[in-house]
Amino acid sequence: MSVESPPETVVVDTDLDEPPEKVWRALTEPALLDRWLAEAKEKAEVVESEPGQRLRLAWRDFDSGGGLVESEVTFTLTPMITGGTRLRLVHDGFVHTSCMGALALLPRALRRPQPTMLRGLAWAA
Amino acid sequence: MPPEAALFRTLADPTRRAVFERLGDGEMTVSDLRSGFSVSQPAISQHLAALKAAGLVLERRAGRNAFYRLRPEGLAPLAGWVDRYRTFWPERIAKLKDVLKDMQP
Repeated sequence: MSVESPPETVVVDTDLDEPPEKVWRALTEPALLDRWLAEAKEKAEVVESEPGQRLRLAWRDFDSGGGLVESEVTFTLTPMITGGTRLRLVHDGFVHTSCMGALALLPRALRRPQPTMLRGLAWAA
Repeated sequence: MPPEAALFRTLADPTRRAVFERLGDGEMTVSDLRSGFSVSQPAISQHLAALKAAGLVLERRAGRNAFYRLRPEGLAPLAGWVDRYRTFWPERIAKLKDVLKDMQP
């Protein structure tokens, strides 16, 4: 399993022994989801589904101040020659909405390439 | 107030957020900042004071001038949301592997 860390995106790649059809069931059947995603599945809503290949979820969190953090989780399944599945998870598109209006997780100012400015952010270090 | 909520309260004002984003271009004085905004210089100064209090902006004085610049570390509580999932997902996928092992073919 590898975890890349580009800013504002979480990517996890993992090779599974089971075929895509079986992995798909674990990603979509409620009783199976309960066993690995547990209560976090309440945060997800299916946006797009290509059975056995790709599952896109809208993901919602509430922060301690009552604001909403919206993001997107995509699972991509690729069959491997071994009969197993390469599973890629991408979690990105984080947008924070307070009761007063939408605000991207990091304001536009910080998205410009300014290395000296970004040095202060924990994930950019 | 939790740090995230304080930040969002500070940045919720559109003019203040615009001032903050404008400082992304580099260090500037209040009068540099004022051009392009339809609000008065005292209003800009007030927004800068709020941004300073929230730890989002730093002030540097040189003679009679005050220069303002971003303090990006001030946004760290927001970046924490992404970091949270950087540990969450590998843990969950380890559990998914266990579930797959237990499943009937």
